[in-house]
Amino acid sequence: MSEPTGVIHDIGYRHYDGARLGRGHATAALAVHSLRGIFGLGRTARSKIIPFVLVGVMLLPAVVSIAIMALIKQEGMRYTEYAVIMQAVLAIFLASQSPYAVAPDLRFRVLPLYLSRPVTLWDYVGAKLAAMTAAMFLLLAVPLTVLFVGEVVIDLPGDTHTVEYLTSMAGAAGYALLLACLGIAVASFTPRRGLGVASVIALYLLASAVSTVLFGVLESMGDDAAAAWAWLINPFFVVDAAVHVGIFGATPASNVIYPPGAGSLVAGVIMIALIGLSVTALIARYRKAASR
Amino acid sequence: MTILATEGLTRRFPRVTALDQLTVTVGPGVTGLVGANGAGKSTLIKILLGLLEPSAGRAQVLGMDTATKGAEIRRIVGYMPEHDCLPPDLSATEFTVHMAQMSGLPRTAARERAADVLRHVGLYEERYRAMGGYSTGMKQRVKLAQALVHDPRLVLLDEPTNGLDPQGRDEMLALIRRIGSEFGISVLVTSHLLGELERVCDHVIVIDGGKLLRSSAIGEFTQQTQTVTVEVEEGQDALAARLGELGETVTPHGRMLLVHVRAPETFDVLRDAVCELDLCLVRLEQGRQRIEDVFREPVNV
Ligand SMILES: Nc1ncnc2c1ncn2[C@@H]1O[C@H](COP(=O)(O)OP(=O)(O)O)[C@@H](O)[C@H]1O
Ligand SMILES: [Mg+2]
Repeated sequence: MSEPTGVIHDIGYRHYDGARLGRGHATAALAVHSLRGIFGLGRTARSKIIPFVLVGVMLLPAVVSIAIMALIKQEGMRYTEYAVIMQAVLAIFLASQSPYAVAPDLRFRVLPLYLSRPVTLWDYVGAKLAAMTAAMFLLLAVPLTVLFVGEVVIDLPGDTHTVEYLTSMAGAAGYALLLACLGIAVASFTPRRGLGVASVIALYLLASAVSTVLFGVLESMGDDAAAAWAWLINPFFVVDAAVHVGIFGATPASNVIYPPGAGSLVAGVIMIALIGLSVTALIARYRKAASR
Repeated sequence: MTILATEGLTRRFPRVTALDQLTVTVGPGVTGLVGANGAGKSTLIKILLGLLEPSAGRAQVLGMDTATKGAEIRRIVGYMPEHDCLPPDLSATEFTVHMAQMSGLPRTAARERAADVLRHVGLYEERYRAMGGYSTGMKQRVKLAQALVHDPRLVLLDEPTNGLDPQGRDEMLALIRRIGSEFGISVLVTSHLLGELERVCDHVIVIDGGKLLRSSAIGEFTQQTQTVTVEVEEGQDALAARLGELGETVTPHGRMLLVHVRAPETFDVLRDAVCELDLCLVRLEQGRQRIEDVFREPVNV
């Protein structure tokens, strides 16, 4: 039978009898969706500006280092110093993007829809943390890897810093996890994005200022041992001390001397405690939000 | 076949008892859950989804206990909340695909289902635009689409006609009717207006203050709700008097008159009376009185 072309046939409602995957699939879908959102993918052009400008800024030191290695044959930046030197940029990315990951779901009340799916509160929080952790890791790992590729290609006399590179990648994972937990936990407390951005940045400035001032004061009083502890108020030095120095025995970031002996262990404990505290706060926060 | 059942279901909040010893059974088809604001409709839906724990009693959905099988229930049940729930910077397509994946559908299947379902709820070209610019009617359609996208066996629709104009309301109600009959998906739909639900439901449950007032097949309700609401600019009293003379039963209700429809001729009488008195007709609406009004009338069963 020949049908006239150009006619749309209403095929009626069709039931779905394909696969229904589990919570893991849904959680992964949420994490990918959130990660894309953090970089502004699938959103307006305007929301891509901040993340991609910051990615560009993060790449600058790697590009400059490669240029130095290629042109004046001198070693570039140390891998394990990268995060500490670029900490302000990492903090700005964390502050501007973590509210995006959590605030709209609270503000526009999408959360009840997620919870009406098989996923649990833990899955939801886990997916958001995973997305932000992945974003922070990419932000650090990409420039570090670019720098490493540059170093291998240029091949200066002397050893390639493979161990330092791998150490810095482990450090990047540590930074990503700690920063994401802190950023998402703080941002989740307000449905308003602007307030979230301000809170995260204020917290970073406070920690960094207190750490620097306390170090200066204690050092001027001649108490170098106490001054060394002051670094561990800033989360960026906590990860450097715990992962780079503590686990892999790298030299601390420039100008910094960590407390000898138990210093790295304490840094590790601080790191784990901050992560634990953030996750606990997040779960409490979302329990309350879900009961509305 | 029982779609859902509750047994002595009670939920207390610090200051109110939202559900009070509620025992109901719901079969396949479209079931209306009617009650005034604060009657406990949304609370019941949250318990059925396993998102809220009852203070006492039990509930079963599709044969599964809500207290222990929440995740399994949510896999095959759809939920449309009464409040806004759409992120404004996503398009309806992106959002519906995402929500299908959240229900466990693989990505390709999620896309196909989303396209199908958005077409069924009546969203076409606009589905590629950001939802922030949608009208209330379009938003309600997307909210319905995300509840249907994983082809659930039951959908819980919380006040789907809220905020819609009369035409949007009619379209939404027609859609709900189709979900129940053509799609073969059971529906539990809430409203504070009995009149609109009686047009699409097979069965109606009425609750008040968390207590069951009535649960019965639709036929038993319609008699009581055969009322037209009339609003005229001036001369309400004159119209009431005239209709009374002509043998109609009229109850004043604020600025409106509720006229009992004793037979189809009532409409003719009403029209003629308005014309004769040369009144300016503002509103003439069928069966949209609030639930309190229905129960204020004597029940003659
Ligand atoms: N999370 C809550 N905390 C305290 N009281 C609540 C909560 N949720 C609902 N209530 C109260 O329970 C009653 C029933 O609410 P609800 O189920 O939302 O009614 P409906 O949906 O029928 O309008 C109302 O008095 C409401 O104030
Ligand atoms: Mg409600």
